[in-house]
Amino acid sequence: MPDRLLEVDHLAKRYGNVVALQEMSLEVGVGELFGFVGPNGAGKTTTMRIILGVLAADSGGIRWAGEPISFADRRRIGYMPEERGLYPSMGVTEQLVYLGELHGMRGREARAAATEWLERLGLTERGGEQLQKLSHGNQQRVQLAAALIHSPAALVLDEPFAGLDPVAVDVMSGVLRERASTGISVLFSSHQLELVESLCDRVGIVRAGRMIACGTVDELRRSAGDRVWLDAPAAPPGWADRLPGTTLVRTDGSRVLLELVPGCDEQALLRAALQTGPVREFRRDMPALSELFRQVMTEEAAA
Amino acid sequence: MNGSAFSGGGLNPARAVYLVARREFMTRVRGKVFVVGTLIAVALLGLYAVLQITVFDNLNTTTTFHVGFTAQAQPLAAPAKAAGPILGVEVMVTQASDQAAAESQVRSGTLDALVTGAPSTPQVVVKSQLDPTLSSLLTGVVRQEALDAELSRAGLNPAAVQAQANRASFRLDVLQPLKPNAVEQPIVGAILAFLLYLFLSVYGAVIAQGVVAEKASRVVEVLLSTLRPGQLLLGKVLGIGLAGLVQFGIIVGCGLAFTLPTHVLALPGAAIGSVLGGVVWFVLGFVLYALMLATSAALVSRVEEVSAATIPISMVMVVAWLLAYVVFIPQIDAAQTGTAVPPGVENLGTVASLIPLFSPVLMPIRIAAGDAPLWQGAMAIVLTLLSIAAVAWLAARVYANSVLRFGARIKLSRALRQAH
Repeated sequence: MPDRLLEVDHLAKRYGNVVALQEMSLEVGVGELFGFVGPNGAGKTTTMRIILGVLAADSGGIRWAGEPISFADRRRIGYMPEERGLYPSMGVTEQLVYLGELHGMRGREARAAATEWLERLGLTERGGEQLQKLSHGNQQRVQLAAALIHSPAALVLDEPFAGLDPVAVDVMSGVLRERASTGISVLFSSHQLELVESLCDRVGIVRAGRMIACGTVDELRRSAGDRVWLDAPAAPPGWADRLPGTTLVRTDGSRVLLELVPGCDEQALLRAALQTGPVREFRRDMPALSELFRQVMTEEAAA
Repeated sequence: MNGSAFSGGGLNPARAVYLVARREFMTRVRGKVFVVGTLIAVALLGLYAVLQITVFDNLNTTTTFHVGFTAQAQPLAAPAKAAGPILGVEVMVTQASDQAAAESQVRSGTLDALVTGAPSTPQVVVKSQLDPTLSSLLTGVVRQEALDAELSRAGLNPAAVQAQANRASFRLDVLQPLKPNAVEQPIVGAILAFLLYLFLSVYGAVIAQGVVAEKASRVVEVLLSTLRPGQLLLGKVLGIGLAGLVQFGIIVGCGLAFTLPTHVLALPGAAIGSVLGGVVWFVLGFVLYALMLATSAALVSRVEEVSAATIPISMVMVVAWLLAYVVFIPQIDAAQTGTAVPPGVENLGTVASLIPLFSPVLMPIRIAAGDAPLWQGAMAIVLTLLSIAAVAWLAARVYANSVLRFGARIKLSRALRQAH
């Protein structure tokens, strides 16, 4: 992982008797895109609010470039809250300039940045309109511009893709990729797991206020265990149930998905399969993030 | 370490408050409440001034009588004209050389009366009846004429006798003199108090609505990621307060501009002091009430709940305004009749005007009426400032603890207790 910019360190937070977060930890490196996934109520929004200082943690802390985060550091984060937060009856440009100034920009700087971002997001003609006159997708673009206006060093975006049409999704992911390539750290939450998989360098899966899996998609696959798809159509029924060093995960027609116990020799498995007749398929399983997500969720629920 | 173009550290607390205040101010002065409210108030003031000029001036205009005098009756013309002002009327005299023509003028109404014949035995010609005022005026003139004739016959000079009579007078002893502008001053105070009450209500509601609107639209979440709650609260109060002050200034300014030239209300020099006092109390009262209203509003999440949440504070405002009535009406009565204000009322006014929550409405009245000693004014200001400091401390705490809690109304005690 590149240099750590933003670290969430063992956060705990309770609302009355409800535990919102426990032992929540994650790190986002410089220029890294970090995807935050998990069911509703898992603690993603609470974590983000604590990062931005709009909520206080019961224990644990946030570090910025290795030091406990300060109020001034937080101004260098661009934030897009879950419930979009802009003034409905205020003009688009005016609103962006105001938010830029509130993040420490001078008026002229803020106006130039607002013009630039509206142009990049295709909203130049909407600058003079009230926010509430814009479509949902365009409002979301303004919200993104609001998070980006002050050239933040990090972006914290709560469900930035929710409710966007495919074109808007492309615009949004393009901007996030481009920002990350300039060295900005991006932390965002989403339920669109394919998108997270294609976009993010690393992914964190949260459940019930706790980070239960974290790493690159490959790392997650590895920790999920070695699995192999095997298609030996001539093998007798029930043959795959008794193979040493493996567990049968699933059967799909003549294909079986086998989980290998650590240390199991896959070449020996292939030889055993060839003894039953022809082998049409023998390959390592590359589960999608959505598959991994489901897997981690059920394991945790069983644990 | 990153591609950030600037440090983001250029926002000191004062600039943060300024930015919030500027946005609030600009939003309000371009808003409907401000533009429409100001136009209506100015239009009403203008209408009132116009009514005063047209209606009241008509009521007060001195009646003018046109009276013709034939050549023979001419000696009576000058005394008749001179007698007019004494009776509050004006007499326009014309010389009627042709009696027939003059009579037709009486018939047509151009002349109210025609006086003919010798001064000692005059005749008065009218169309259908003689106006009672004109009748007594002419009677007086004729009697004077007769008196002068008698005096001359007795060998006296009528003019000298008259001059001697005019010198007689009496000395005036006033037991309870009226204060100068004794009636106008409480009225000025009452108008100020009413305006203050009105503006506290209107702009207090604007503050409360603004706080909840930010909460409902969740803008507050973005704002609090870069501002401290106290900065946001203070900026809102200052920006909206300034907008209110500007509107207050426009309306009071127009009021003065309309009333001064028309003399609807003879404004004493002291009124300037009253207006200044009003401004000071507007600022203090606004800050005090706005902080309380913003805090109560922060406890709820939906705009529809605002009025319910702010009822206790609105009630205090109404009580202050009712007290103002109880205090200032006897003052006006007393000023008009020249009697003293009942001591109970005076004490109530004095005590109530020193209570911080009531001072902003009551003190301006007392200052305008000129019955608040300087030390009481100063004491009320100090007490109010202390209350503002206490309320600001509590407000910042409650506001910070509740502005990010959505859903059901938050209990005040809970918002006070929890450290964020």
